[in-house]
Amino acid sequence: MSIGGQVAIVGIGESAYGRHLPESQLALGAQALRAALADAGLERADIDGLSLHMGWPLGADYDRIAEVYGLEVDYVFQSWTHGRFVTSALQHGAMAIATGMASLVACVTAISFTREKHILGGPGDSEGMREQGATHGENPVFGLTSPAAGAAFAMQRYMALTGASSADLAAVPIALRRHAMLNPRALMQKPLTLEEHQASRLVVDPLRLFDCSLVTDGAVVVLLASAERARDLRQRPVTIAGMQGIRSGREEFIFAPPGLGINQQRGGLAAPRERDLAVYRAAGLGREAIQGFYTYDAFSPLVLFALERFGFCPPGEAAAWVQGGRIQLGGELPVNTAGGLLSEAHVCGWNTICEMVRQLRGEAGPRQIPGATHLQWGTCWGDSVILGG
Amino acid sequence: MMDPSNPTAKPLPRLTPDNRPFWEACRRHELRLPWCDACDQPHWPPGPVCPFCFGDRVTWRLASGRGAISSWVVVHKDWFPAFRDDLPYNAVQVDLEEGVRLTGNVVGLDGQPLSVGMPVRVVFDDVTPEATLPRFTPR
Repeated sequence: MSIGGQVAIVGIGESAYGRHLPESQLALGAQALRAALADAGLERADIDGLSLHMGWPLGADYDRIAEVYGLEVDYVFQSWTHGRFVTSALQHGAMAIATGMASLVACVTAISFTREKHILGGPGDSEGMREQGATHGENPVFGLTSPAAGAAFAMQRYMALTGASSADLAAVPIALRRHAMLNPRALMQKPLTLEEHQASRLVVDPLRLFDCSLVTDGAVVVLLASAERARDLRQRPVTIAGMQGIRSGREEFIFAPPGLGINQQRGGLAAPRERDLAVYRAAGLGREAIQGFYTYDAFSPLVLFALERFGFCPPGEAAAWVQGGRIQLGGELPVNTAGGLLSEAHVCGWNTICEMVRQLRGEAGPRQIPGATHLQWGTCWGDSVILGG
Repeated sequence: MMDPSNPTAKPLPRLTPDNRPFWEACRRHELRLPWCDACDQPHWPPGPVCPFCFGDRVTWRLASGRGAISSWVVVHKDWFPAFRDDLPYNAVQVDLEEGVRLTGNVVGLDGQPLSVGMPVRVVFDDVTPEATLPRFTPR
């Protein structure tokens, strides 16, 4: 059984994005839900499934969402507000459609990061102190808090093994800033230069300010239905061509390619294994068919690691590969064409999934990838969804 | 454990049935690692079973305390009031000779730059009468 072609994204909706927005998290979610329903030409009563990428300690639970928005649903998946679950929430929604457990699933994320900032690091970081600690390498006992620590550990070792530098890494946030400047919704609108990147303050050496995502508020709703039903709806359907799940095990570290050597990883950097490329087989196409790559860019090294993970460049070579505009619009493989978490807004990656949908509908305006038919979402921890076809 | 009534205190280890032997050994200034009796391998983090053979008989053996830095960072952001006076401060991951990787801090650098591969050995820091943290120092 394959998901290929069975399920489509039929509507997208976004709230305002910003910092210190006065609206509650639930109010932002309602804005996004209203926008998504209008986009799809559907009614609230059509929704019979929820797939939530939000929850404790940063967000509401599903029953509160259904109660507050007046929904009556027969299917729920929920993961907490943690970037790693963006693909999972989309995939569970798609599986519910494909298996007939629901006919219209609303994938919802709503975030008020600026109001809940104290949870993201420091004394309020309960994640670091749970049994066996947090999994990004942070351990508050040693002064490490927030996922930035794990991304910094990974980049430092990557630099030592490959000879890459912070200046090489700057190509990632610089490219995404250029994309943001073509996107009026993006919060960052000023050009970013290499000099500014290198002069920006260190957050956790080797990560500088511009290697870390924005901390913002916003909400996104993505509506999923069967491809068959999608044909009768308002928008050009964006079908799910193939997908693969999170890769996990002792050789995995959330913010590193396999084999880098963080936490208990062994083995050394190597070309992607067959099992890491299942998404292309599921979609029935090769990597060369991918016209744009979309990824979770909470920290700029994660983009390098995702590119290596899916084999767009040889292991250890991503820092060189991203130079010269290769990941910018007009380049060989545009990445995060709306600006990503680094320059558009941090809505846990869902803002980037909305951009994929706009691209595949041909509605991305000045950012349009000409003739876009196949785009890939893939994270450095190995899960992926190919949209289009 | 972070003490909610005292957010300015540095967080202390949270003891669980799985990791208690580690922290109790640290209080005696011993570095001990969980070894599987069945397949004779150490593992980290401490767990109720061996992740390699799923054996459930684990013995906490004395480790050499020697290793090499596998990665390092320097924290510049003022996240914890309790660490404010330490800024900027380092944290490292260390490959122990026994084959597991621990996280900690390096002390006694005397101006030496941190580097991947730097040989280190464990030292113990009695941070409170009840808690001792393992740290590392160049060797």
